[in-house]
Amino acid sequence: MQSEPDDWVENVRMLEASLGAVVPEDGSLLRVREQRGNGAGFDPTTWRIIAEMGWLALRTKEDDGGLGLGLREATALCAGLGRGLVPEPVISAILALRLVSAAGAGAPEAALTGETIMLAAWQGGASDCDPTAGVTVSDGRLNGRKIAVEGGLGADIFVVTLAEGIAVVPKDAPGLTVTGQQMHDGTFLAQLDFADVLAEVLPCAGMTTFVREAMLMHAAYLMALSERAFEITLDYLRMRKQFDVPIGQFQALQHRATEIKLQLELARAAIGAAGRMLDRSEDPHLAQMAILRARSRAGGLARLTAREAIQMHGAIGYTDEADIGLFARKAMVSAGLYGVDTDLRRQFSAMRDEREKAQ
Amino acid sequence: MTQTDVQPPFRADHAPHPDYNAMPDAEFRAVVRHFIETHYPDIPRHLLRRLRWQEVCPWYAVLARTGWLAPTWPQALGGMGLNAGKHLILIEEYERFGCARMHDIGTVMLGPLLIQFGTQAQQDHYLTRILSGEDIWAQGYSEPGAGSDLAALRTEALRDGDHWVLNGQKTWITLGADANMIFVLARTDKSVRKQAGISFLLVPMEAPGVTVREIENLEGHAEFCEVFFDNVRIPIGNIVGEVNGGWAMAKALLGHERVFIGAPRLSASALARLEEIARREGVWSDPVFRDRFTQLEMDLADLSDLFETYVERLRTGAPIGADVGLLKICQSELYQRISEEMLQVAGSLGGAQLTDATARLDTAGTWLAARPTTIFGGSTEVMRNVVARASLDLPK
Ligand SMILES: Cc1cc2nc3c(=O)[nH]c(=O)nc-3n(C[C@H](O)[C@H](O)[C@H](O)COP(=O)(O)OP(=O)(O)OC[C@H]3O[C@@H](n4cnc5c(N)ncnc54)[C@H](O)[C@@H]3O)c2cc1C
Repeated sequence: MQSEPDDWVENVRMLEASLGAVVPEDGSLLRVREQRGNGAGFDPTTWRIIAEMGWLALRTKEDDGGLGLGLREATALCAGLGRGLVPEPVISAILALRLVSAAGAGAPEAALTGETIMLAAWQGGASDCDPTAGVTVSDGRLNGRKIAVEGGLGADIFVVTLAEGIAVVPKDAPGLTVTGQQMHDGTFLAQLDFADVLAEVLPCAGMTTFVREAMLMHAAYLMALSERAFEITLDYLRMRKQFDVPIGQFQALQHRATEIKLQLELARAAIGAAGRMLDRSEDPHLAQMAILRARSRAGGLARLTAREAIQMHGAIGYTDEADIGLFARKAMVSAGLYGVDTDLRRQFSAMRDEREKAQ
Repeated sequence: MTQTDVQPPFRADHAPHPDYNAMPDAEFRAVVRHFIETHYPDIPRHLLRRLRWQEVCPWYAVLARTGWLAPTWPQALGGMGLNAGKHLILIEEYERFGCARMHDIGTVMLGPLLIQFGTQAQQDHYLTRILSGEDIWAQGYSEPGAGSDLAALRTEALRDGDHWVLNGQKTWITLGADANMIFVLARTDKSVRKQAGISFLLVPMEAPGVTVREIENLEGHAEFCEVFFDNVRIPIGNIVGEVNGGWAMAKALLGHERVFIGAPRLSASALARLEEIARREGVWSDPVFRDRFTQLEMDLADLSDLFETYVERLRTGAPIGADVGLLKICQSELYQRISEEMLQVAGSLGGAQLTDATARLDTAGTWLAARPTTIFGGSTEVMRNVVARASLDLPK
């Protein structure tokens, strides 16, 4: 095996050590709970802290004032956020900065410091994750719609993906309408309607790859929230007694818990492999396929864990006051973001065929 | 008169019911449809959440006045006297129209129990008050430590002269905050086998020492609650059946219930909504989606056939059989799979939280609403245990 520089290991350790600034170490979800349905669904003060930690610039080139770290670092960060159910749209902001920086527009200082909130609007349809879809350009005017912009109600600037590249559009640009849809986890997704919005279009090489990278980060978020929900559920199986024994003694539940463990390890392995391939610039085509695979696995894992966590908790799992419900709702909502199952499989099989043809 | 100032007592004022059971099914179905269309008040339809008493009261009032409140009770006792088959048609039509479910613990659970085991005086008093809407009942079985293992319940009633003194806690009581009466399984003898020392008590919620705390559920509605009993004194006569005979009675009640809880209507209505969502999302003709949809459709049809075989047993009075739990397992899991597919089809917006007006197509709401169906009324795991033990003849 090829030896590799293991800077990333140290980076990940440092990132993980710094997570406490936003994710309470005692696992408290009080802030997350109170943030639900509030304002834009996330907290501007926490946003500033996140920006100060440099997390938003994690994937931005060092020349542009970023940290220039790899995907293994980025996925480790997002895993930490997922464990804590952090509602701030960090992945969207990382993507937005990466797009702007790749398009040669530099990275706006205010977006790096968190003074302005700059988010990516990349998705065109509810079940179609093609970043070139949804909005068209002609004569320097944008028309169409982008949907599912996480945290979009709180954004100052949108980075909009197009077939021709990207456009940077302030929220109050004439002709742009931003509508919020509240989700069952207390966040809001924004829908952006463009009617002859004037904007400069910048070519952006690698745009699709960057969106896929965001999918991988989101996969890590999903994996980690599932892992935490699983831990809470295992604790419950150890503690809850019925028929004079802890319910974790029942084999019916043990087998299903083992299934979650299996899916969890598959997701972890797939995410790790995809990150490694991308960071080492190994076979880019295969690396992209690995992302799709990892994201697909993580979505299935999140949904499975949500279902089982509620079921194994019994009635208490169906209450708002038990934290497990926060995980279940987050899983249900976010398993459909940054990739939709059928589309992920469609993209994967298309890439597989391309590969076969090329060989 | 506005609909919100309609309050109990409601009095029945209707012509005598015909013998509905003698009608051909199609004719009865038409009667039910006409009834709903003429009488359904101006309240929401097709909700995933339960309406609270103030909201559903106009519908209760209509049902009470027309004599449609208690479909399965004998006509002589103020019911419609429907047999299982006709009752099913009634339920299907309510479901199709999207009628709000009213507070029905009194008509569905307590009424039949009193008709079978209550004294004449209890029937006269309580059945009348259910029909008039003066008594809204809640079911107080579960406790924090007694869920699947219900017989482990610890709420205790001690005899003190002419009273029972009740202490303990019940939980997950659906719509308990709307009820003025609750029936409670309480321990009246600690010296015997767990199941043998339990009695069935009728408790006014207004009695001193009763406290209620509402609990918000995962859909964000305060639909169930905890009820605490602190030295609550209730008259000695507020017991149904024998002292220490509550367990057998509570179980006996499950016969009819067990079949109806497996009725395919929740799945059927969810599947229809899935089709609607799929058409909206433009995947209705997508062969990949249709393959999955067709599987669900076939599953539903098979479930309906299975359901029919149990209804037939009810109709003919044949024993229902210990494997009736299969129905509930099948129905609830199918409902959950359909809700999962809804979420998939709605893609990134599947998790959207809709309002009452659009709740019908709330995919995540349906997903959430489908969760407890595998938990209450005997969890899926416990049902599987029961079927395995009772009808597979495996080594112990
Ligand atoms: C929406 C809702 C409404 C309700 N309304 C009422 C009401 O009005 N009145 C009332 O009295 N109760 C009500 N209940 C309570 C309901 O009856 C209980 O939730 C049910 O009995 C399960 O008990 P539990 O929740 O304590 O779960 P537990 O019994 O603690 O079960 C937890 C998990 O362990 C599993 N498990 C338990 N035993 C076994 C076993 N032997 N083998 C394998 N697995 C096992 C269960 O299946 C479950 O997955 C309601 C519940 C819900 C969710």
